[in-house]
Amino acid sequence: MEPIQITDTQSFESAFMGDVKAGFPSPAEDMREKLDIVKLLVRHSASTFFFRVDGVSMVDADMDEGDILIVDRAVDPYNGCKAVCFIDGEYTVKRVEIGERGAVLMPCNENSTRYKPIPVGPDNDFLIWGVVTWIIKKA
Amino acid sequence: MYALADCNNFFVSCERVFRPDLDGKPVIVLSSNDGCAVARSNEAKALGIPMGAPLFKIKDIVKANNVQVFSSNFALYGDMSRRVQEVLRTYSPCVEHYSIDEAFLDLRGMEGIDFQAYAREISAMCRKLTRIPVSVGIAPTKTLAKIASKLCKQYPKLQGGCFMYRPQDVEKVLRKYPVGDVWGIGRRSQKKLQNMGIQTAWDYVQIPEEAVRKLFALPGYRTWKELKGIPCIEFEDMVEPKQSICVSRSFAKEITDSATLCEQVANFADSAASKLRKQGSLALEMYVFVMTNRFKENAPQANAGICIPFPDATADYRTVILAAIDGCRRVFRPGFGYKKAGVIFSKLIQAEDFTRSIFEDEEAAFKEAKLSGAIDSINRSFGEGSVLFGSQGDDKIKVANEHSSPHYTTLWTDIPSVKI
Repeated sequence: MEPIQITDTQSFESAFMGDVKAGFPSPAEDMREKLDIVKLLVRHSASTFFFRVDGVSMVDADMDEGDILIVDRAVDPYNGCKAVCFIDGEYTVKRVEIGERGAVLMPCNENSTRYKPIPVGPDNDFLIWGVVTWIIKKA
Repeated sequence: MYALADCNNFFVSCERVFRPDLDGKPVIVLSSNDGCAVARSNEAKALGIPMGAPLFKIKDIVKANNVQVFSSNFALYGDMSRRVQEVLRTYSPCVEHYSIDEAFLDLRGMEGIDFQAYAREISAMCRKLTRIPVSVGIAPTKTLAKIASKLCKQYPKLQGGCFMYRPQDVEKVLRKYPVGDVWGIGRRSQKKLQNMGIQTAWDYVQIPEEAVRKLFALPGYRTWKELKGIPCIEFEDMVEPKQSICVSRSFAKEITDSATLCEQVANFADSAASKLRKQGSLALEMYVFVMTNRFKENAPQANAGICIPFPDATADYRTVILAAIDGCRRVFRPGFGYKKAGVIFSKLIQAEDFTRSIFEDEEAAFKEAKLSGAIDSINRSFGEGSVLFGSQGDDKIKVANEHSSPHYTTLWTDIPSVKI
């Protein structure tokens, strides 16, 4: 048997690990699965975007200062969805109530009287930029 | 059938993704280093801002009309392009990425579906998912698909999708279509065509077959056939390795000393080598060039370049950086202000086809290869530029980009903040 020179750890690993023929082969050899958090949070990578929360009008909807919102444009707005909206030149995030007479942007902060529902009328320059699908927050 | 999906005023549309307030407003994007307008919104075009206009020449229009000006933000454009391509791939298994804002879709085998509706759906889906407006043309050949997509931009009634296939429709369109705007008609042929009195694409297809072959050689003949609805331009969804690789940049401030210029050139050689390695190529030749400011008409000019052959094809960082610095020293002349420099690798071969010359020191080559491989893996794990050679300098000269938007989609520190 010839001695072999180990030149880098990678070939060392491939020479001595994984492929060991002696003994009983590991039954887990072919199981290379692992949990991928991105697969859970990003359903459509073409249409998923991230925003950062600045403000407290939505604390009752678990959106706190500094949280990251995951927004998926593939999700159609539905009644009661929380969405990044663009109204009269400014961004906001609100719960969108869609009724027969149009949409109303609802704040979610019981403890503050500062935030009032915003009815969206034909005079408003309004679009729903995207529906929030996840909130990432630091524990 | 083939489709061409072409993003409308792509760079401008990217800038509008997170800025809905800019919809309907005049917007331009400047070339790297904030030189010229390279993308214009329809509103900016309507104001008469020409393509490629240097910013200083259009200052007054910009000010008077409150035109929004952006520096190029390639991180954003690259990511938005990736998103659009992903949407397109759900409409055909074969997508050819033709450029950052254009892609061909192979729709052969899908005959029988409503292509007009399909074109509109692709366009609407791209807009919905990415906010990028896209013009989709579907036709029997790639050349005709390109023309069909152009029609979408002219006629908003088409709602972003145009299916052009009936001979009488094609004829009607080609009769009005300037021959110079046809894909594949080069500037040189254009002159020849002008002399022949050929103005439209329709005039072009009226040239007899034999004459086209003789006058415009194979590419011109192919275009002629494609315009007649006979597909003959291959679908290329496989990316061919590039035949040459160039990295060059303009400097925000003129460089007057050799050391700084060499540092810059070393950086260009480094990133060009990285590109070379990513496509698995080796270069037999490198060209180093330096340029003075051509816009300063009264200043002395000293554009120069030098070709450096490598005895053995290489993609080693150390080898190419040393060669680049050597080349730069040789072309540098004191007393001039250099505004731009670059490095071009040419005569590329694929690494696996390469036979080493018998004179090469095999062990040294092995060591170089190991070093370059280690640099690649460190930079992959920790980001480009984590490991540098001393000769590259540590503070890169910043290019001018004072109007740049944030890297909204590629940097966590830059994601848009919403006041709620």
